[in-house]
Amino acid sequence: MAMRDTIIEMMTNIAQQQRKPLAPLQDDLNLLSSGLDSLCIAILVAELDEEFGIDPLSSTDDHNLPVTVGDFIRLYENAMQ
Amino acid sequence: MRNIVVTGASRGIGLGVARKLSASGFHVIAIARTSGAELEAATAEANTNGIGQISFYEQDLSRIDMLSETAHALRKRFGLIYGIINNAGLGTSGLLCNMPETEIECLTQLNIVSPLVLTKHLLRSMLVARSGRIVNISSIVAITGYQGISAYSATKAAMLGFTRSLAREVGSLGITVNAVLPGFVDTEMTLDLDEAARRKITNRNALRRPTMIDDVASMVDYLVSDHAQGITGTAMVVDAGTTA
Repeated sequence: MAMRDTIIEMMTNIAQQQRKPLAPLQDDLNLLSSGLDSLCIAILVAELDEEFGIDPLSSTDDHNLPVTVGDFIRLYENAMQ
Repeated sequence: MRNIVVTGASRGIGLGVARKLSASGFHVIAIARTSGAELEAATAEANTNGIGQISFYEQDLSRIDMLSETAHALRKRFGLIYGIINNAGLGTSGLLCNMPETEIECLTQLNIVSPLVLTKHLLRSMLVARSGRIVNISSIVAITGYQGISAYSATKAAMLGFTRSLAREVGSLGITVNAVLPGFVDTEMTLDLDEAARRKITNRNALRRPTMIDDVASMVDYLVSDHAQGITGTAMVVDAGTTA
């Protein structure tokens, strides 16, 4: 499964488990407006680390933190290359 | 077998906790700078009994910059981490007005910063599993005064704030966070109390005996068990009645 599909599937599952209403996940959607709270994002990062063994956020400067869903996906796609 | 990390496990309370948890069927990952004869004996005993297990992992916890790497290495070698017992710490005593700043910094680094950072990284496993146990070893001096340990007391009180707020942060995932507040236990850490001071403390205890390592280990054993799944954000005093 492509990284993009994995991330979207994980976001959907986490939102469901944490009972958070999830906005349609488009690339230009702001992460903070997606419905996922900071704990959901922490779970997502932990699951991605578990699945792929990477944590690009830990080595990202504050000013390069992903803002949108698309930024987040690209960060992980680039880290896998 | 559930993996549980115990820091400062080569002696004192940490060693007692490692022994107790392995006897309850956990795989204890005993972190310390050096192993030592007592931990090696406990490891051999646990691994022979076949109930639980102890594995030694060498790490200087004051190396904060290494803790992310340590958490990854533990995950890779042992699998998901179910819990952590933050026990390692310095017991430096002395009047605050005479204490060098470097000692105060060392105390806060090892007793506060190190457990926070290690917990941050080990929490990943618990977030993935949607369950876990965190037990912070504080002290009764976090809630009552004793002269000559004000800096140490401050670090132990910090663990209470950490415990309560982290319990709220991760509670919805079934991860519990609790603190244990031992009274004065005879370990290397309290050796600089003289005999008269120790007798005075013991005589003031409701149970007229000192707090034993096993008293503390038993409380930790309970808090990490399935019986304690409804208990989080608490501060459990284990002090033979010192503060009663």
